[in-house]
Amino acid sequence: MKFYFFHLMPWPYLPDDFQQRYDSAWVWLPNTLYDPVKGHDLYREYINTLAYADELGFDGICVNEHHQNAYGLMPSPNVVAGALTQRTKHCKIAVIGNALPLYNPPLRVAEEFAMLDVMSNGRLIAGMVIGGGPEYFSYQINPTHAREKFREALDLILKAWTTPGPFMWNSKHYHFRYVNPWPLPLQKPHPPIWIPGVGSLETIEFVAQRRFAYMGIPYFHIDVFRRVFAMFREACAKAGYEANPEQMGWGVPIYVADTDKQAREEFEPHLWHFTRNHLKGIGLTPPGYTSAKSAAAIVKNQKHFLYTKKTWSEIEEGAFAIVGSPETVRQKLAHYQKELGAGIILTGCQTGTLSHELARKSMELLAREVLPKVRGGIEKSSPASSHAMVR
Amino acid sequence: MLKFLKKLKYGARVLLSKGGGQEEIIDVAGRSTVMRHGGEGPPLVYLHSGLGESFMWLPFFQSWSKKFRVLVPTHPGFGNSGGFDQIDNIEDMAFHYVEMLDALGLEEVCLGGVSVGGWIAAEFAVRWPERVKKLWIADAPGMWVEDQPPADMFRIMHDRDKLRELLFYDPKGAMASVVVKDDPDEQTMLTAYQSLTVLARLVWERPYDPKLPARLRRVQCPTLLIWGDHDKLIPPAYGEAYKKHIAGAELNLIKNCGHLPMFEKESEFVELIGKFCQD
Repeated sequence: MKFYFFHLMPWPYLPDDFQQRYDSAWVWLPNTLYDPVKGHDLYREYINTLAYADELGFDGICVNEHHQNAYGLMPSPNVVAGALTQRTKHCKIAVIGNALPLYNPPLRVAEEFAMLDVMSNGRLIAGMVIGGGPEYFSYQINPTHAREKFREALDLILKAWTTPGPFMWNSKHYHFRYVNPWPLPLQKPHPPIWIPGVGSLETIEFVAQRRFAYMGIPYFHIDVFRRVFAMFREACAKAGYEANPEQMGWGVPIYVADTDKQAREEFEPHLWHFTRNHLKGIGLTPPGYTSAKSAAAIVKNQKHFLYTKKTWSEIEEGAFAIVGSPETVRQKLAHYQKELGAGIILTGCQTGTLSHELARKSMELLAREVLPKVRGGIEKSSPASSHAMVR
Repeated sequence: MLKFLKKLKYGARVLLSKGGGQEEIIDVAGRSTVMRHGGEGPPLVYLHSGLGESFMWLPFFQSWSKKFRVLVPTHPGFGNSGGFDQIDNIEDMAFHYVEMLDALGLEEVCLGGVSVGGWIAAEFAVRWPERVKKLWIADAPGMWVEDQPPADMFRIMHDRDKLRELLFYDPKGAMASVVVKDDPDEQTMLTAYQSLTVLARLVWERPYDPKLPARLRRVQCPTLLIWGDHDKLIPPAYGEAYKKHIAGAELNLIKNCGHLPMFEKESEFVELIGKFCQD
């Protein structure tokens, strides 16, 4: 079992009347609400927290890409990852990911990821995403070409890393006479590829066929993860191999304090702040971003999404967050880990308005009291497993 | 109650019209294209809006069919028409229709459309002016008016009330609730999503064609512009913009009408176009 510490870098200073005044924390939320002076302190402390995860012995740290929103302040996760290559020594740095259709040319991703891999001495995990629905409003990229562009760009990047350049590339959306990125990644044949998903069969089958790793995006009911990982294992079997646990990541917020009561008291208000403020508008889905069938499935999945939840018992029942004393958290993780069969947990210890101090306290307890006991859990993967996801 | 009766009446008219149109599937350069048609006389080609009102033989088609051979194709990607993978932009739509006229052996037609259909008609007319006997354009995007950007329909598309407000002068009226139903069933939602997907492909990055104004001088035929005076999606200023660039074009504002005159002011709409195409 591997533990990756995930930071969204939220904007915690939304006004008290946010819910009445604004219909979304995304795309058109006025950026006059952003304050760069406070923003400086935030980046410093958020980066400190991520670096602390390395000191505490987390297997990796994660950053991701979102635009024009208060939910996550990393329009360029590569900038933050660049800083982290210099602040960390051991952990993997997972950028999950770069939204490929938003990069023109997508060779930029091949270049920047290669830089990060070389700078970190081969610690990069290269996450490739289509990008959330709101990004297509923010960048005005045609959503009806998203999937096609994603696949083309991914193939281009992989080829750029594995085929000696210069070579010519020609596909429906991209044409290059000289593909020849300098530098190239340190990891061979290339860094592990992680693809986050929200459960569409299309993505699951694609990731399974290509032997990449599938990262289940958090904030869904545990039933969704049960179904998704079962589908993933089936898709791998169909592709002719047994799924490696480390091809499956379960995204879930975890919060640990000395007692169950204290954990809930410290964490709950921030989870609700996050749910009611930062998640507002995240479901904005432009037409053509998915097939009509998937769009219908997304609508049906809404009731399994954190945004619709109102009570703590719903949070506990659906394992939307794992919260409690070290012993409680250990038991729950062991239970779900066994059930899901996922070899990777991606966890945000910081959520919404939770302070840097509380986030770090929770990380310490998690790293010292919980991780050593659950790590051995279903560890059936061999040391070579991380290469299994490399094509 | 009155609203209910009006809705009922429209439903009855749709039923009564139904027999007037026939459905056909034609092969347009390999793209399977659904077309409804009815009536005899000079050919009148109607290019539908993003709503996909070509999916049914509606009363206004039936009215025209008394004097014209009315042809109502369904755009590639909409409904059961294929060929979406060959459509990337509005020009591709124009090329689809010149090939459709070829396939039907039609040399010259009265051509027009509402909203995106009107834009396609304009793009057609600047490329093949000799094939357009008369051109009419209603409530169409395609141009850019600096201080009056078209509204962002994609932002509010899931909100039925806001959608009715955007599309209708009278969002509480009977026709608003006929066109934008409350509690649509799953099939209706899927069809709407499919239509919006085609629309998004055409307009997402840029809801206009920067080259169109300069090209509009190539339009040679009589041109009628029809706009709802309360079109909130594509304001009447866009009608003015088309008028400015098409020599001799006439702009007709329909009073107390929103973006969809064929539904909100049907009789005026039918008469204006019928008369224009006949003369």
